[in-house]
Amino acid sequence: MTTAELAESRPVLKPAKPARSARPLVKHKRAILLFLAPFGVLFALFYLLPIGYAVYQSLLVVQRDGTFGPPVEVFGGLTQYVAVFQNEAFWASVGRVLLFGVVQVPVMLGFALVLALLLDSPLVKGKKFFRLAYFVPYAVPGVIAAIMWGYLYSPNLSPFTALTGSFEFLSPQFVLWAIANVVTWVYVGYNMLIIYSSLLAIPSEIYEAAKLDGASQLQIALRIKIPLVVPAITLTAIFSIIGTLQLLAEPQVFRSFTSSVSSTFTPNMAVYATSAVPNVNLAAAMSVVLALATFAMSFAFLKFTQRKADA
Amino acid sequence: MHLTRSMRIVALGVASAIALTGCASSGGSTSGSGAAACAPSDGKVELSFTSWIPGIDKVVDLWNAENPNIQVTVQTGPNGNGGTYKNFFNQITAGNAPDLGQIEYDALPNFRVQDGLENIASCANVLDSKSKFIDWTWNQVTFGEDNAVYGIPQDTGPMAMYYRKDLFEKAGIPVPTTWDEYATAAAAIRQQGGYITNFPQNDVNWFAGLVWQANGQWFDSSTGSWKVSLTSPESTKVADYWQNLISGGLVSKVPAWTDEWNNAYNTGSDWTWISAVWGANSISSGAPDTSGDWAVAPMPQWKAGDNAAGNWGGSSTAVLKGSKHPYEAAQFALWLNTSDEALTALNKEANLYPATKAGLSLPVLADGVPFYGDQKIYDVFAKASSQVNPDFTWGPTMTQTYADVADGFGQVLGGTGTLSDALKTGQDKTIAALKAQSIPVVQ
Amino acid sequence: MSRTAAMIVMLVSTVYFLLPVWWLFTSASKTREQFGNTNGLVFGDFNLFQNIGQLFAYNDGIYLRWMLNSVLYAGAGALIGTVISAMCGYALAKYRFPGRELIFNVVLGGVLVPATALALPLFLIFSQVGATNTFWSVFLPSLVNPFGVYLARIYASASVPDELLEAARIDGSGEVRTFFTVARRLMTPALVTIFLFQFVAIWNNFFLPLIMLRDESLFPVTLGLYTWNSQVNQIPEIRTYVIIGAFVSIIPLVIAFLSLQRFWQSGLGSGSLK
Repeated sequence: MTTAELAESRPVLKPAKPARSARPLVKHKRAILLFLAPFGVLFALFYLLPIGYAVYQSLLVVQRDGTFGPPVEVFGGLTQYVAVFQNEAFWASVGRVLLFGVVQVPVMLGFALVLALLLDSPLVKGKKFFRLAYFVPYAVPGVIAAIMWGYLYSPNLSPFTALTGSFEFLSPQFVLWAIANVVTWVYVGYNMLIIYSSLLAIPSEIYEAAKLDGASQLQIALRIKIPLVVPAITLTAIFSIIGTLQLLAEPQVFRSFTSSVSSTFTPNMAVYATSAVPNVNLAAAMSVVLALATFAMSFAFLKFTQRKADA
Repeated sequence: MHLTRSMRIVALGVASAIALTGCASSGGSTSGSGAAACAPSDGKVELSFTSWIPGIDKVVDLWNAENPNIQVTVQTGPNGNGGTYKNFFNQITAGNAPDLGQIEYDALPNFRVQDGLENIASCANVLDSKSKFIDWTWNQVTFGEDNAVYGIPQDTGPMAMYYRKDLFEKAGIPVPTTWDEYATAAAAIRQQGGYITNFPQNDVNWFAGLVWQANGQWFDSSTGSWKVSLTSPESTKVADYWQNLISGGLVSKVPAWTDEWNNAYNTGSDWTWISAVWGANSISSGAPDTSGDWAVAPMPQWKAGDNAAGNWGGSSTAVLKGSKHPYEAAQFALWLNTSDEALTALNKEANLYPATKAGLSLPVLADGVPFYGDQKIYDVFAKASSQVNPDFTWGPTMTQTYADVADGFGQVLGGTGTLSDALKTGQDKTIAALKAQSIPVVQ
Repeated sequence: MSRTAAMIVMLVSTVYFLLPVWWLFTSASKTREQFGNTNGLVFGDFNLFQNIGQLFAYNDGIYLRWMLNSVLYAGAGALIGTVISAMCGYALAKYRFPGRELIFNVVLGGVLVPATALALPLFLIFSQVGATNTFWSVFLPSLVNPFGVYLARIYASASVPDELLEAARIDGSGEVRTFFTVARRLMTPALVTIFLFQFVAIWNNFFLPLIMLRDESLFPVTLGLYTWNSQVNQIPEIRTYVIIGAFVSIIPLVIAFLSLQRFWQSGLGSGSLK
């Protein structure tokens, strides 16, 4: 699972309700098994097993004798977790990405919503072109997008030196938002398409009455369209915030352009830096804490959507 | 209800996965650090060698052509701290490391502490080679112990001052020979609109080279536990000196190794670079428009008349833990780092500067270099090489120390704190990192 | 809002989204000297094809090898990954059996596991069986796409009517055959969507290969470019190859999206009908 993949994992849809027919017996057992087995086996091997291994590693501590004594791993209980909770840099990084998410996600989705509404309105010509143009950045890998923007921000090498020469985009105060712009650039088109798709799914009869009453396009957008796509936007928002917890590639690349990005800028970078020490056990504990935090958010999200669906 | 049930199952899945992996995780480090017997293997031997030196495969081809029974396969990766060390550590833990690895001197203690190196002292010809190498490099690979050799020195990075001869002459600014003169020149150059140099946030090992020149130490392991002294008087002296230049706005803040940094040299905005011998190529390829305008002088001194040089970088070829052919690996490493043929090729391919005494007088290093106005720059570096303090000790978690100090340096460049604050933070975090790994520390 | 204002917003946005890509294009077509000293948005000497030629020739054509590897990892990985995700999602949508919701929730949880949490343990597990630094060590973990299962389940419930499956059963078609004929056809837009997004994810991934692979000839293009980028210290001229390589590496994805847009756009649309 990559950062990019997680960042794009922004489902708009709620899980389908099970079919309503009441059958006491499980039919087609062999077929079900056959369908589930390939994914199930791979998921167990390459998801559950590594997670279990990370938990196992996080419960160990290293012991050694003397200056160059060889390390021996012994069971250490929750020692590593205590160390994680005392690690200021780690929590600072968590706070940083949460702030990032709270600001960047509304901006990105607001931008995507405006573009989607415009595309869906009769005001715009050349819809097909715009749709594709906005989607192009999604084809650029995060690492490469960050390299490109790194140059565009550069005081000397940017094509916009008039701007970048007088304003330091990569200063410590601003670099988080410079990164936010890169992420926004890559994902606005993707989010716009999802919102646009749900707009297209709205039957046009709904607008007709409003039009007959003399409502303007703006009124139709505000009163009819936005309320209908709010559920989709809410869910993408929550998933985007969770996605920002995984931020790694963009700030990592920016480290070669600026001194403003520390080695523990985001939680994932803190994990990576710790495992490079190498202190695998502490890194594993950080990963588990991070995974649990994301799990908690995802379950909160599931509960939220279920309540919505039941209401 | 639904949620708690799911959570329970997740917990169950995780628990069973732990049970599974619990059985699978065996092995790991066993043998002690003493030199084991080192005998040649029978028949044809295949060795793997991971390095990030560009063009090293061509050098290895020379060996393979001459040694049909010891064939070496090269794998390249990112530079050490850029990912290769992390791979090595993972592979050592997993017991599938390559036979040989490129390891910089400052990373060797880390590998030793993680029990990642084979002691090749008992392999034929290894101990006998001691006299071939520049003294301080041999100390780096033996940790000052008898009957212990954990790698073969490959290259060094004696430091000197690269400077724009033409600009200094035109502006009538004398070329600095002491750090005081360097600071004076910095102010004069700033008046002209340029910078004397940049302060590189991430090159903490460069900063360590300056401390090395000032006769400082960052670590000491001679008492049986580690003493960390990033805040020693010498270290603080260097920090305060550069802090003054930064506070006075006399050095630029452009991060090193970026196009912008190249550009600063190429356009004549930066005038000097205190750097290692391998930096000669970095300038000539990064600032091609300034060909012929550069020259090399010894590093500025803390006291007029002194002759001390620092060292920045340099690496060894180490035999990694678990190699089944330490004898053959050691023979290859010796050939790679002592034979004229290999050293010449390494210099030609990657501009490596040999760690052997004889290597300093290789024919390729005798000529004038056109980029530097045909100056015989390697004479300066050969001299610097002999002026490097032979006793400098690196710590066992340098990747972490570098990262933490660099974070502090970054804050300084962003306008908060001082370089000595950064060293203090680095000191505290390093001690914490050592303790977290149960490595003994004295305060 | 007037028509003019709307078009201005659209055009300004177009500039925002396309200008960086344009910059990459012009930069990739410049000589090394011009990259530093000409305006980034206009062409210098149009050197693109010479540059690409040099890129392909550099280091015995290793770049082409990386591209080929990426196509294999991402293409074959996404293809197989889509099939197994579709089968799993289809089963979760169309059959009733105990533990169904549970499996689905565990899979959903899998969507949220941080990459760094998996890469290192994956490496240690692969090394237990001596399989690191192999094609499979990157390929096999890439097959698993929990998000694909999630999408497949939703699309299957939305677009495959139970009546049609019952009719196929009455005609004597086996469950597996029904899936690969009737259901697959109905789910095609969804499958293309899953395929493309998994393709992009594998193509963009570089952390897992970084940890798993030592042998340069197994690298995907992202890791290769990352490695080059980290060598800029020692060989600054390689930066030109990083820029050109970056440009060339995004071309296949752009082509894939453009040529398959009919499918994935309707895929996104049909999904949101539910």
